[in-house]
Amino acid sequence: MSDFEIMIDGQTVGASDGETVLTAAIRAGVSIPTLCHDPRLDPAAACRTCLVEVSGSGRLQPACAWKAQADMTVVTENPRIKRHRAVLLSMYLADHALDDEGLPVERPNGNQLREMVIKEGHAFDLVPVAAPRGNREDKNPYVQFNPDACILCARCTRYCDEVEAVSAISLAGRGSATTISTVAERSLLDTSCELCGGCIDVCPTGAMFEGKAPVHAPEAIEKVRSTCNFCGVGCQLDLNVLDGKVIKVTAPPPGTTVNDGNLCVKGRFAYDFVHHDDRLTTPLIRRDDGELHPCSWDEAISAAAAGLLAVKKNHGADALGFISSARCTVEENYLVQKMSRAAFGTNNCHQCAAT
Amino acid sequence: MEKKGSKRQAVLDALTGQGLSREAMARVAELTGVPEADVYGVGTFYTLLAEPGPRVCQGLSCKLAGGDALAEKLEAKGTVHRVSCLGQCDRAPVSLGENNRLDVAGPRGGISPDNPGLVMNLAGEDDPSYPALAWARKMGGEAVIDELEASGLQGRGGAGFPAHIKWRAVRAEAEPTKYVVCNADEGEPGTFKDREIMLRRPQLMLEALAIAAFVTGCEAIYIYVRGEFPEETDALKAALAKGGLEDFEFRFIEGHGAYICGEETALIESIEGRRGMPRLKPPYPTQQGLWGKPTLMNNVETLACVPDILLRGGARFLALGKTEPGTKLYCLSGHVNNPGVYELPLGASLNELVAAGGGFVGTPLAFSPGGASSGVLPMSLADEPLDFKSLAAHGSMLGSAGVVVLNDTVDMAWVAQVQAVFFEDESCGQCAPCRIGARLVRQALDRYLQSGNPDNLEHIEELAWEMTEGSICGLGMVAAEPAVTARRHFSDHFGVRP
Ligand SMILES: Cc1cc2nc3c(=O)[nH]c(=O)nc-3n(C[C@H](O)[C@H](O)[C@H](O)COP(=O)(O)O)c2cc1C
Ligand code: SF4
Repeated sequence: MSDFEIMIDGQTVGASDGETVLTAAIRAGVSIPTLCHDPRLDPAAACRTCLVEVSGSGRLQPACAWKAQADMTVVTENPRIKRHRAVLLSMYLADHALDDEGLPVERPNGNQLREMVIKEGHAFDLVPVAAPRGNREDKNPYVQFNPDACILCARCTRYCDEVEAVSAISLAGRGSATTISTVAERSLLDTSCELCGGCIDVCPTGAMFEGKAPVHAPEAIEKVRSTCNFCGVGCQLDLNVLDGKVIKVTAPPPGTTVNDGNLCVKGRFAYDFVHHDDRLTTPLIRRDDGELHPCSWDEAISAAAAGLLAVKKNHGADALGFISSARCTVEENYLVQKMSRAAFGTNNCHQCAAT
Repeated sequence: MEKKGSKRQAVLDALTGQGLSREAMARVAELTGVPEADVYGVGTFYTLLAEPGPRVCQGLSCKLAGGDALAEKLEAKGTVHRVSCLGQCDRAPVSLGENNRLDVAGPRGGISPDNPGLVMNLAGEDDPSYPALAWARKMGGEAVIDELEASGLQGRGGAGFPAHIKWRAVRAEAEPTKYVVCNADEGEPGTFKDREIMLRRPQLMLEALAIAAFVTGCEAIYIYVRGEFPEETDALKAALAKGGLEDFEFRFIEGHGAYICGEETALIESIEGRRGMPRLKPPYPTQQGLWGKPTLMNNVETLACVPDILLRGGARFLALGKTEPGTKLYCLSGHVNNPGVYELPLGASLNELVAAGGGFVGTPLAFSPGGASSGVLPMSLADEPLDFKSLAAHGSMLGSAGVVVLNDTVDMAWVAQVQAVFFEDESCGQCAPCRIGARLVRQALDRYLQSGNPDNLEHIEELAWEMTEGSICGLGMVAAEPAVTARRHFSDHFGVRP
């Protein structure tokens, strides 16, 4: 349901009160470049890539923040906007790590600035500005930061504040020396950071990146949607698979799944077990020789049942206790207590996340 | 996201004198409930917090008067920070010592001789009975605003926005909590007029603030004084202590070394205890300003005009102007005999102003009419009115009326470089065109001055175009103006030091 209509590039588009030009444009299939925009965050309009012409304003205005109003006319492509984008991108190139071809470097999570320069072009080459951004050594294995690939769009700091309510990182310094920093440039391990890695997901240029994931061409990756099994919330995650191995976990785009693009430290980073040598892939029974031997599920369940029933028979049901795991679903946890109470007759049941 | 019960507003005060160590951050975070990294982000934004201690001015007027030699002398004695503006161009060259008090400085600059016919009359005496406030109370808020409208008073902070429109807008807001803010963050190189009002006629401004609070129904009055002006804060407090305005709640906020906090929304962010990064507009402060409430913000000089407008009538004020309403405080420095602050009819020319300031030193070549932001103009415009409209028509602006005169001994490329250093230092860094552009422009000028090769300046005009089109606020929009206008008007004196 729209409240009124606006005109974008000659196309009539419905829009609602409070909606931005960008939201209306996306719905209408009009593409406007953005770098600092994230639907979960208040608009910053800092990257300036989404500037468009709107009726009633002589200045170019940011589509990500400018509110749609009845009978507004918006132009997203014309020589002025093209010139603006080309010169702006030339400036970004002077402040970014470049590859041999003079394009913004490839980054582990892709680099949207690179894609934008390839798509929109730039006006001229400039001498790099070598901004004095410093560099923070961080011993944590998960979240790393490369200031040379940072465009200061502040998505990471705004995400950390507005979505996670953690504020472990902030814009620090001023002017060309502005950078992303923890308090007094400490390691993230030494801050309020929960290592959720959301800053990596929101970073458009891969300046925030996962320390342990190998660098790869994004095209080679197959993304397999899965459900995180560390707790019962059921966050959706994308296993990034290369040559049959999970090399990284990313969150599905915001707005598409229950977790809205968010993950916690376990879901995002604790995937090493998947391919670990010590991982159990079959049930084991300890036989008379004292060693664990592989067996079938039927054998394992029978052995467990026999053992539990023997305890109940010799010592009574309350000699038994059942503890289930936070990694089980609600339904599985329900079944464990049912088994405890109804099948074995004891109230000694607990779940590790219930305290 | 604010944590429940946090006292963000207290962050900047709590950071003062603490340094930026981890321990200090932890203390301030504990005290205020604001996360440590956030506190650090705020602290590193403000130079008086990040780099406290003595400072020496490297602004244009100071450099013309031997600022480099002074800097070297002070550096030989100990640590001193080189900064781009200390707001004392008439006393150049200057340095600040401990607690941001003036250390080295020339004699006080000139002012217009005592003349009761003037509006602000810096040489006059304050009237402690606050007669204009009494007038406002008797006649009511509408009458005050009508008088402001009749006066044609335009904002003196730089933009020239009609004062009555803002006053009326805030008065009309139904929201019960509203604020009045006085912008005394004067930091535009070449500008030191608000300083003189605060030192010489503090009551004019305090009285106007009380009138503004009365007219708009505001809860509290905030006065944001630049951190390098402790004496001015003292003067205001002393004037207030004389009594007469007890019905109004005045709160003083000291700046912490960031020119951008003169921009109204950055100033609001700063009062709230944040990094001074300008907000997106709309909403405008009159709608959603301090803590989201309707806020009336005016410049010191705008306010200082109000008592006279009420007491002697808007029509008289209007008629005092030459091309635009009222009188204006023009700051004059650089190559002139008597730098200072002169109150002249708005629309006076450069030649008239310099006549008030004792004449030129040497053969004048160029002038900057409204601070660094206004770029530079040729002497062929010395008889043009220094007002909002005509200067805009010449691609410049009246801005803060910080007039700097340059004679033919200067290299205009060097002038542009000095101004470019200021803008690079003072960019808040929020938006890319200004953050990267200001540095690109400064570096290009550096390379040009070192090599003499004009290829280094090849893209300056195009960068300037994008900075004007693409920047969020006025700082980025004008940051390349000195370079562009110096090239446009002074090809003969660009890169040449005769
Ligand atoms: C970069 C920048 C710096 C500014 N600095 C000041 C300042 O130091 N003092 C001031 O009064 N206004 C300054 N302004 C203008 C304010 O944003 C605002 O327009 C003014 O305070 C409004 O008051 P007025 O209407 O009385 O002029 C600045 C604006 C910009 C863009
Ligand atoms: S133009 Fe400059 S000072 Fe203004 S918001 Fe952008 S970066 Fe900050």
